[in-house]
Amino acid sequence: MSKFKKEDKKGAPGVNTSSLPDIVFMLLFFFMVATTTKEADPTVEVKRPEGVSATDLTPYKQRSEIDFLYIGEPRNKKRAADFKLGHALFLDNVAQPQPGELYSTNAVAQWKKDKMETKPSNMDEPISNVITCIKADQGVPTVLIFDIRDALESINALTIAYAVEDKSAY
Amino acid sequence: MAKREIPEINAGSMADIAFLLLIFFLVTTTMEKDTAYIRHIPKKLEIPPENIKIEKRNIFEIKANAANRLMIRGEIIDNPDDISDRVLEFYQMNEGLSESQTKKLIADENYKGSDFPFYSRVSLETVKNEIDKNDKLLTEADMNDQQDYVTFYEKALKEWTKKQQAIKTLNVSELKEIHPQAHIRIVVQQETEYKLFAKIHSEIQEALVELRDKAAMKYFGETYTKMSKRLAQDKSDEKGDRKKVEAIKVLYPERIIEVRPKG
Repeated sequence: MSKFKKEDKKGAPGVNTSSLPDIVFMLLFFFMVATTTKEADPTVEVKRPEGVSATDLTPYKQRSEIDFLYIGEPRNKKRAADFKLGHALFLDNVAQPQPGELYSTNAVAQWKKDKMETKPSNMDEPISNVITCIKADQGVPTVLIFDIRDALESINALTIAYAVEDKSAY
Repeated sequence: MAKREIPEINAGSMADIAFLLLIFFLVTTTMEKDTAYIRHIPKKLEIPPENIKIEKRNIFEIKANAANRLMIRGEIIDNPDDISDRVLEFYQMNEGLSESQTKKLIADENYKGSDFPFYSRVSLETVKNEIDKNDKLLTEADMNDQQDYVTFYEKALKEWTKKQQAIKTLNVSELKEIHPQAHIRIVVQQETEYKLFAKIHSEIQEALVELRDKAAMKYFGETYTKMSKRLAQDKSDEKGDRKKVEAIKVLYPERIIEVRPKG
């Protein structure tokens, strides 16, 4: 009679995965808190310039008091020639004939008006206070920014924002 | 009655559900925050007013050319980081002067601050008179249906009302305010890169925030940055930040004129 028990021929015990959901949920909540929703994936290339002391737009986004427009070189290089100075506009989610369609600055006024109509009913700011945020690429010639400004001025949308990457030290 | 055992719920797929949600959030969100400089476009007047004389000392002109070179008040600048210091200088040069000093130095051409805007003092009484005056003019223009004048007087009235509020909020007998025409003017050319344009705005903002933070610390014991951030998040304004933020803005107004490039 041996003093040692013979090991049973058993396979490796299964790993207890009952805490896996907890871990995943923890990750999920982290991402929910630490990130903000993307407005759109623009079809123009935008590398934002740097700046300091910029205003955080998250509260305005949460109240839909802001519309974003992107301006830069089209990702599809062939299309660059169709636009003034080779830079095109990408306007976010309103009914577009084709998703990801590019526009010239002439389309800004109509887009802004359309956006105003799709606002949730609890957004009661007048059009002059609804921010239009211009996300422009570093290399955009400023004359295009002024074209956008003129279009917005003509429909009385008088608040604009110049998007930058905030480099302030916190 | 016999006790029946409640069958355990199989939670094996919980992880799958959580993963699905996690991946959804990973795809639809970004880490970076949207930050920007908020600016206001002036309202267009149908008939532009006649040439209003603006003294040179009240203009802070930043020029940027097509080769992305900078010029401030006629002087070529190599490092764009210097703009904020120059803006601070523009605001602060004559700020410390007393009323009698201002009167004496404003005519003195040899004074080193003669090329910078002077400050004036506004009492509550002046503000009240101005409000009454503009109110009368506004009603008049409204009756004659002159839309441009209505816009103009409405704006003037709004500004004086803001000053009145500011005096009350700051709890001072008179408001020390920079010359009402003092402004920053950004002149660019068609091909000036947006990068430089944004840099100019960044520098102006940096200077303004510094001035406002200091003033807010002095009057309310809290920085302007903190108060305005709280206000943006809480629109119902439970802490009464709106009045304070507006008052500080009256002290150091952000008057920026962006000139459309010619051509």
